[in-house]
Amino acid sequence: MAPPPIVQQKSSSPSQPSGKSEVSDLKLQLRQLAGSRAPGADDSKRDLFKRVISYMTVGIDVSAAFSEMVMCSATSDIVLKKMCYLYVGNYARCHPDLALLTINFLQKDCRDVDPMIRGLALRSLCSLRVPNLVEYLVSPLSSGLEDGSPYVRMVAVLGVLKLYHISATTCFDSDFPASLKNLMLTDSDAQVVANCLFVLQEIWNLEANKSEEANRERETLLSKQTIYYLLNRIKEFNEWAQCLILELISKYIPSDSNDIFDIMNLLEDRLQHANGAVVLATIKVFLHLTMSMTDVHQQVYERLKAPLLTLVGSGSSEQSYAVLSHLHLLVMRAPMLFSSDYKHFYCQFSDPSYIKKLKLEMLTAIANESNTYEIVTELCEYAGNVDVPIARESIRAVGKIALQQYDVNAIVDRLLQFLEMEKDYVTAETLVLVKDLLRKYPQWSHDCIAVVGNISSKNVQEPKAKAALIWMLGEYSKDMPDAPYILENLIENWDDENAAEVRLHLLTAAMKCFLKRPPETQKALGAALAAGVADSHQDVHDRALLYYRLLQYDVSVAERVVNPPKQAVSVFADLQSSEVKDRIFDEFNTLSVVYQKPSYMFTDKEHRGPFEFSEEIGNLSLDQESMDNAPRFDESDKDLLLGTSEREENGGTSINGAATPGYSAPHDYNSSLVPLSSQTQSEPAVTSQTSFAIDDLLGLSMLAAPEPPSLKLNSKAALDPGTFQRKWGQLGVSISQEIPISPQGVGSLTTPQALIRHMQANSIHCIASGGQSPNFKFFLFAQKDDGSASFFLVECIVNTSSAKAQVKVKADDASASEAFFALFQSALSKFGM
Amino acid sequence: MPVAASAIYFLNLRGDVLINRLYRDDVGGNMVDAFRIHIMQTKELGTCPVRQIGGCSFLYMRISNVYIVIVVSSNANVACAFKFVAEAVVLFKSYFGGAFDEDAIRNNFVLIYELLDEIMDFGYPQNLSPEILKLYITQEGVRSPFSSKHSDKPVPNATLQVTGAVGWRREGLLYKKNEVFLDIVESVNLLMSSKGSVLRCDVSGKILMKCFLSGMPDLKLGLNDKIGLEKESQLKSRPIKSGKTIELDDVTFHQCVNLTRFNSEKTVSFVPPDGEFELMKYRITEGVNLPFRVLPTIKELGRTRMEVNVKVKSVFGAKMFALGVVVKVPVPKQTAKTSFQVTSGRAKYNASIDCLVWKIKKFPGQTESTMSAEVELISTMVEKKSWTRPPIQMEFQVPMFTASGLRVRFLKVWEKSGYNTVEWVRYITKAGSYEIRC
Repeated sequence: MAPPPIVQQKSSSPSQPSGKSEVSDLKLQLRQLAGSRAPGADDSKRDLFKRVISYMTVGIDVSAAFSEMVMCSATSDIVLKKMCYLYVGNYARCHPDLALLTINFLQKDCRDVDPMIRGLALRSLCSLRVPNLVEYLVSPLSSGLEDGSPYVRMVAVLGVLKLYHISATTCFDSDFPASLKNLMLTDSDAQVVANCLFVLQEIWNLEANKSEEANRERETLLSKQTIYYLLNRIKEFNEWAQCLILELISKYIPSDSNDIFDIMNLLEDRLQHANGAVVLATIKVFLHLTMSMTDVHQQVYERLKAPLLTLVGSGSSEQSYAVLSHLHLLVMRAPMLFSSDYKHFYCQFSDPSYIKKLKLEMLTAIANESNTYEIVTELCEYAGNVDVPIARESIRAVGKIALQQYDVNAIVDRLLQFLEMEKDYVTAETLVLVKDLLRKYPQWSHDCIAVVGNISSKNVQEPKAKAALIWMLGEYSKDMPDAPYILENLIENWDDENAAEVRLHLLTAAMKCFLKRPPETQKALGAALAAGVADSHQDVHDRALLYYRLLQYDVSVAERVVNPPKQAVSVFADLQSSEVKDRIFDEFNTLSVVYQKPSYMFTDKEHRGPFEFSEEIGNLSLDQESMDNAPRFDESDKDLLLGTSEREENGGTSINGAATPGYSAPHDYNSSLVPLSSQTQSEPAVTSQTSFAIDDLLGLSMLAAPEPPSLKLNSKAALDPGTFQRKWGQLGVSISQEIPISPQGVGSLTTPQALIRHMQANSIHCIASGGQSPNFKFFLFAQKDDGSASFFLVECIVNTSSAKAQVKVKADDASASEAFFALFQSALSKFGM
Repeated sequence: MPVAASAIYFLNLRGDVLINRLYRDDVGGNMVDAFRIHIMQTKELGTCPVRQIGGCSFLYMRISNVYIVIVVSSNANVACAFKFVAEAVVLFKSYFGGAFDEDAIRNNFVLIYELLDEIMDFGYPQNLSPEILKLYITQEGVRSPFSSKHSDKPVPNATLQVTGAVGWRREGLLYKKNEVFLDIVESVNLLMSSKGSVLRCDVSGKILMKCFLSGMPDLKLGLNDKIGLEKESQLKSRPIKSGKTIELDDVTFHQCVNLTRFNSEKTVSFVPPDGEFELMKYRITEGVNLPFRVLPTIKELGRTRMEVNVKVKSVFGAKMFALGVVVKVPVPKQTAKTSFQVTSGRAKYNASIDCLVWKIKKFPGQTESTMSAEVELISTMVEKKSWTRPPIQMEFQVPMFTASGLRVRFLKVWEKSGYNTVEWVRYITKAGSYEIRC
């Protein structure tokens, strides 16, 4: 065997000037060498070719030398040939006319005696990707598929896929899929078989929606016969092919339990493969095969644990991350099974933060009676970690474990110790947690309040933490002697308080405190209400006004509203619906697991929302934002905090109520204030609303879909997201109403797109959408088609389980909003018909 | 579609593209700019190795001073993609003679293009085995083995090996002296609490082999692992000999190992590739012998002084010794002055990693050594409480010692010509992540 060749080349980094003079120089030299048969000519050609290639790589356009390169390619030297193929492949696409020049010699090379050259030439020929040269591909491909050398066949098989992507019809007309199918079942060479499988899988998956036949073909790939054929040969395939074959097998539906055990026995040794990707692919097969057999499924988890834990520890941290993400998924599905392995999830100091984060989540999930003490002790170590985000995460993890109800006593002590660490971020995180804990376990209030009372509000800067502290001051003002004075202090600095969230809480806390200790708080409350009413933030203003009027009306009513007896929160809502989790599980061993969302949310263009349509780099930052927006909508369900201003801004009134069951804090009241105040802003809407509500009661709205209204909408309306956002902020709500959706509509609404397309047909366009079943959220807009360019903006929250849509309309021209709403409703009522 | 990659990019640390290959058209050529703008030039770098920007997923990895970025637009198989990159790097290294960095890439454009074309076609991984690729991808080896000019020579059937069943070994190898080298390399990972209790401890080991054997030899390896021994005593119906048996938590093997036979007979038998390879990897969590005990005491005396005392005990056999022992004791950033007393080796303060570094070249077994240091700190306005102590880290190598106690009982070589072989076995234990909290 030849020693590893080290290619020596001139300077390490070629200079990067415009390269014009170099290129013309190269052209000249190539021309001179082109016809030369002198000994050593090949060597000088090689040097020249290498220079051309390195210019090409550093980005100098050397396409000018195309014809010279082609002239020089008439050689038997394989190294030269390869470089020439590379060059041609790189420039053929942008210079299709020049590519025609190469067809001739590539076709000739496809008939060379050397299988290596035949293979390489065929690969280059298929990689030209020039549509009008397709006709030249067919005959070399068909002879390639029948070539005596497996190398050529292997290349030809993937060539078929390339042809399919350039011109699907040519591919089908030449009947290539049938030849591949034949080859797959008969070829002696494993890699040829594997490549056939990849190609057929890809082609039929893409065609499946288009024709019945393709669908059938796709199913034959998953037939017992094919699967067993591949299974029996699996050891002949290389590791990468095995990964893909295992992926195919995981989609196979076994006929009975014997079938399942046969496959598992055949594949068991794959779990010992050195390649982690093969192991993960095998794991997927095992998990999916046993889905229907609960007890076996559990045994499978046990069996998979060891290989997974080994994989986590081997390879680079990126590889560990990929494996850990999968382990994370399994741990979340069956935390009990991993509870004794908690030590494997301890963080190492040198672990990158993305790994630590996953480990923390797993530690939180597997905590139970037997290991809580150790886990919490370990988590407390991380709270002092240098890496601040991880320290925060670990404090949150401690809190979550406490909320899971294990060993709360000790944990509360730990949390209180955190407060004594006197680190700003530790204090901030802990305050938020203590607040959540108190909501669930009011019995701990005494211990907590004693410690919280000692915290100087000056050391708490983060809005969330400050809000939590203020909430506790208000809630427990009776037990905290200083509460009124601390609040007074905070109210004095009202103007310096940037976060509306904090100001809202300050108002409520002042109210609560006043109701408990009137003489001490009266002055502070007065100041707070005055400042609140004058506040520029709508919600703060509204809340202050509400309190003011309440107090004016009757103090005892105010007390009932602000300070009602509270029930402890028993369960905090879960982040993801089980449906989503199952979908991710179905897509085991793919990116979905890493992103922790199903693939349609990140591969489907439409799902990423209209912001995503432009793929230009300039818009990418926007894309990110909208990406973040979609999940936030779901997460708000889960938000442990009380209804915060942030959420109210999102207009999530319905969410608020659902998120905190059994908790009737003033915030709930407050959130219902939003529609109230908005109604006062647009009087005309009220009447229409009530009349519709009566229609609703009588069940008329469904039957009597409103007459086609006179309002005409511009079908080509356009609005950029920025303007939409601005308008949404400026305009008041003119109509806010819940309307029913027909059962057919609910049935069609499996993904947001369905509705978006439907509304688009009615000239109502979507600007952003998100959510999963049963909750979808849409922001839509439409434009009057009378040249006035007046826009209607709509927020529509659809809940498929209750078959209702919560619609809010804002309009440039509020007088037309009623007509628009009728139009909108009629459009929506036709959805799914 | 389980495509592994739509494109692969190699970038230097500034974000310049060194070389790239677009395998499929579903990602735009400018996606790498997105990577540069949204990942490399932001704080995002290093927060997560898988990121999505504008419909494409970027999977990236840093190797020395090069970023290797895989771009996909579909729902790809992440584990496979990362493994592919890791294997590709191994392949490049074996071609470049060891180094893989920016310069190596710049000097080998042509070769890399060729390899990239061979190892992946249209996004599907093909063959990444260096042994096979070296048969036909050569830059200086001049002509392909099939070249017509060499028709006088027997044409080795390389394409069969490219894809064939015994893909990892060529036929017709011949060595004058038949030798096998076997190394058991173990890394001990330890996490010890400040109170001296072991929080977590495991060994990840691998068996590396180097084979210079003629023909198609069959090898059989016996270890003192529990399952193997039990099976053997079962087969030969005789009780297990006294002595330590090791329980392996999990084992993975090189593709050459006959796994069916391993599962039925519990012996490791294989036809080895030529040259160097990793035969197996294993993990052990029970019964680990820690080679070193570390007893730190760190006292903070007031605001500006610290006293550090570290005692290290070697607990392996007295006849053995450890090499390259390094103990790193973290100290606060505002360290001004240090003074040391050590019973062996040398210690100094390394400001760039904020550590006291104590090095001992040779550390005999069953001995102990101490370092005591005084650290003076610059007094600052910041409360010293804000310094959280990172763990003490340790590096070492102990030859002829395995933390797991794993031993080779036999290594049999059988070839039809019946030649004699010389077998060499070595053991070494290294520190993996050996952390002691203080």
